[in-house]
Amino acid sequence: MQELREVLLNTLLAAGLYATMSYGLAVIYGVMRIINLAHAGLMMLAAYVTFALYTRYEMDPFLSLVVVIPLFFLLGVLLHRFVVRRLPRTTGTPTMQSLLLLFGVWLVLQNLAYALWTGDTQSILTPYTLKSVTLLGVRVGVPNLLVFGVSALSLLALNFVLKRTYLGRAIRAVTQNRDAALLSGIDADRLSAITFGAGTAFAAIAGTSLSTLYAFTPDFGRSFLLKAFCIIVLGGMESFTGVAAGALVLAFLENALAAWTPIPTSFQDAISFTLLVLVLVAVPQGLPGIARKVARWRASS
Amino acid sequence: MTPAPVSRRTLPWLLFAAAGLVLLLAPRFLDRGSLNDVWNVAFGVILACSWNILGGFAGQVSIGYSAFIGIGAYTTVLLALKGVDPYLTLPLSALLAAVFAVLIGLPAFRLRGPYFTIVTIGVSEAVRVFASGVSFTGGSSGLRMPAGSFDFSVNYASMVALALAVIALTAALSRSPFGAALGAIRQDIDAAEALGIDSTRFKLGAHAISAALVAVAGSLYAINFQYVAPGSVFDFRLSLSIVLMPIIGGVGTLAGPVLGAVIFSYLQIKLLTIPALRDSYLFIYGGLLILVMLFEPKGIVGLWNRLAASVRRSPGGSDAR
Amino acid sequence: MPADAGGATPILSVRSLSKRFEGLLALGGVSFDVEKGQIFGVIGPNGAGKTTLFSCIVGSLVPTSGEILFRKRRIGGLPNDAVVRRGVVRTHQIVRPFREMTVAQNVSVGALFGRGKRRGAEAASRVAAVLETTGLSHRAGALAGTLTIGELKRLEIARALATEPEVICLDEVMGGLNPSEILAAMALIRTIRDAGVTVLMIEHHIHAVVGVSDRILVLNFGEKIAEGTPREVVADPDVVAAYLGDETNPLLEECVS
Repeated sequence: MQELREVLLNTLLAAGLYATMSYGLAVIYGVMRIINLAHAGLMMLAAYVTFALYTRYEMDPFLSLVVVIPLFFLLGVLLHRFVVRRLPRTTGTPTMQSLLLLFGVWLVLQNLAYALWTGDTQSILTPYTLKSVTLLGVRVGVPNLLVFGVSALSLLALNFVLKRTYLGRAIRAVTQNRDAALLSGIDADRLSAITFGAGTAFAAIAGTSLSTLYAFTPDFGRSFLLKAFCIIVLGGMESFTGVAAGALVLAFLENALAAWTPIPTSFQDAISFTLLVLVLVAVPQGLPGIARKVARWRASS
Repeated sequence: MTPAPVSRRTLPWLLFAAAGLVLLLAPRFLDRGSLNDVWNVAFGVILACSWNILGGFAGQVSIGYSAFIGIGAYTTVLLALKGVDPYLTLPLSALLAAVFAVLIGLPAFRLRGPYFTIVTIGVSEAVRVFASGVSFTGGSSGLRMPAGSFDFSVNYASMVALALAVIALTAALSRSPFGAALGAIRQDIDAAEALGIDSTRFKLGAHAISAALVAVAGSLYAINFQYVAPGSVFDFRLSLSIVLMPIIGGVGTLAGPVLGAVIFSYLQIKLLTIPALRDSYLFIYGGLLILVMLFEPKGIVGLWNRLAASVRRSPGGSDAR
Repeated sequence: MPADAGGATPILSVRSLSKRFEGLLALGGVSFDVEKGQIFGVIGPNGAGKTTLFSCIVGSLVPTSGEILFRKRRIGGLPNDAVVRRGVVRTHQIVRPFREMTVAQNVSVGALFGRGKRRGAEAASRVAAVLETTGLSHRAGALAGTLTIGELKRLEIARALATEPEVICLDEVMGGLNPSEILAAMALIRTIRDAGVTVLMIEHHIHAVVGVSDRILVLNFGEKIAEGTPREVVADPDVVAAYLGDETNPLLEECVS
């Protein structure tokens, strides 16, 4: 019982962070049909910026989001303006060209981090890094709780923007029916720029959060990128509620396997990659596809 | 000016044979340092040209080829530790890599384009994580080949001969029905299937062939360095360079991967000797990738073709006709 | 009409074929037979399920239910490439050439991997013969990306013919052609039939389809509303109401005769 509670609570906490890092990827994919491999590099860079603000100005990592979010939004817009926009516009499926282009951006970001901060492993040690509290009978790290809070707030904010603003409706329209929405007079270029900025900002939120939980190097972020892929594929690529469900499923699998099987935690990353392959192959439409199949099966029987 | 129309076809082959002969005889007149450079270039050529069979001809971009280098290297080292002659392990390396390529390909090739690419990143990460975690790979400290008489000249000759063979093979493949099928798959997989091409079978074939060749290169690599560790042979950066060489040279072309491998290996050798540049190789790789994708997705070969076309069009270049 | 029509076993049989997409019924239990050597027209308004029907026949879509028999053997649900190697091929309404290949290379893909699986000189002669039939010989060395739309439509047919099919499904090969090109296309379709290939064709150009077909199937909202000779179909009140419209009828009578 205790173990189950532990697994469920840890699942919830991890899922918040997973969802945050996946939404950045999902929103860019939805609007622009681009798979942003630079996402990993952006998370890594945000971790370093947070680190720099903490060591240089003693700014609390969570407080530093006030600086990091606008900074990375701007970085995303600039990246779109000077790099991504120069790609030939994609209509249906994402192109290899955009994937490899953003792969190049990722490598440049990595090198930037090497140049500025060397390849040494860094971490952020705040007074509360090693503190923990007891919640529902489970000991939980304070940073984990704070990260969950940040994730929850940013997801609520995203939800508000998507549901209540013109911009959000435009994003959802393009995501759901690209051709029709683009024909109906949405300024695709401006929308893409804002989307890329927002996706980058979400990568930054995730990066800052990760920097409070893990040590990092310029190579940091690859396994989290793969987790994010796994989640948006599970979530059905275009569905925003699906992403949240995908994050929960992956977080639960990782925690459950760690708690109830003898699989060593060093193999944990391999779980999400295996899951990624299985899901992509077995149910290309992800969880929404399964849900539809179940609904149809129940309706017919 | 041209002696006979036949020479247009045979000339490249004659040049190729001559260059091959010179390279194979190079140990008679080059010093060890230069031979090492040639060895590195030959290694790069094998990786780039083999990758090009699947990534270039068939258009299935995989960023996970370090797995095959690792399989080849470990097959050789593990068997050598059991007393098998390292060069006798090469066929088994090739076979194991081909089998692994088919096993991975069976699910992965159901995916198209970038989705396939992402799965290859995932698979190579999983392999790396696995290889670092189990004991038979020697863990993070790796394994050393059994002490014995190591002959660089044999290894040099094998690597160069394999590189030449791979170039000839890709040239032959590109003109064969197999190459035609891969080209059709790259350009429009639905149209290819609508004309009777079993796309999965051809993709699996291309994956297996290229994996086998890369694995043999991995075996030769392990014999040369007498040492193998998950951190070196399963490194993501290795996968990265395998992709970058053909992309910079000209993906899907015959000359592109060779050109890319030569430039790339040379660059790498130079970068390693200049401390200021050693730390900026990712910047150079990434920058090149961005430039190629934005301005000339067919790489240097594409650029060359474009220049040649514009020279032919301009009045100054009209004497070329 | 071909000599073996009437009573002979059909080369292609479609039995209560249905295809559903995400709750939308694209085909709702369509059945028909095609005799060997026929030219079999399929007409109907946009969204009637015509292209879906072809996609199910050649296997680029898996039918939700129903059967497709080719020479009494089931082909429904087989992958596209396997169906082609058995002898049923289709062209695409929106042309899909291999743009980086020449016209001859495009056609050779069909010769190499279709039902014939020709190699070497045999493949080359097949390619040459098909290019001759489709009037593309003079463009053999041109890159497919440089062709006109009329030539691209013929390239689609040429590639499909190179697979040595017994049944060829032509999806709107006359779309975007001018009147003289349409006449040429009608002649080409008859040539293909005379060479022993059974032809199914989707066509919006009603004069052409009525002029060239032996039988016509009419689809509307995924259901068969009529089937028969061109004369029967154009006189069918359901067809007139659903699709053709009264004012075009005299014109149709004219082109049947």
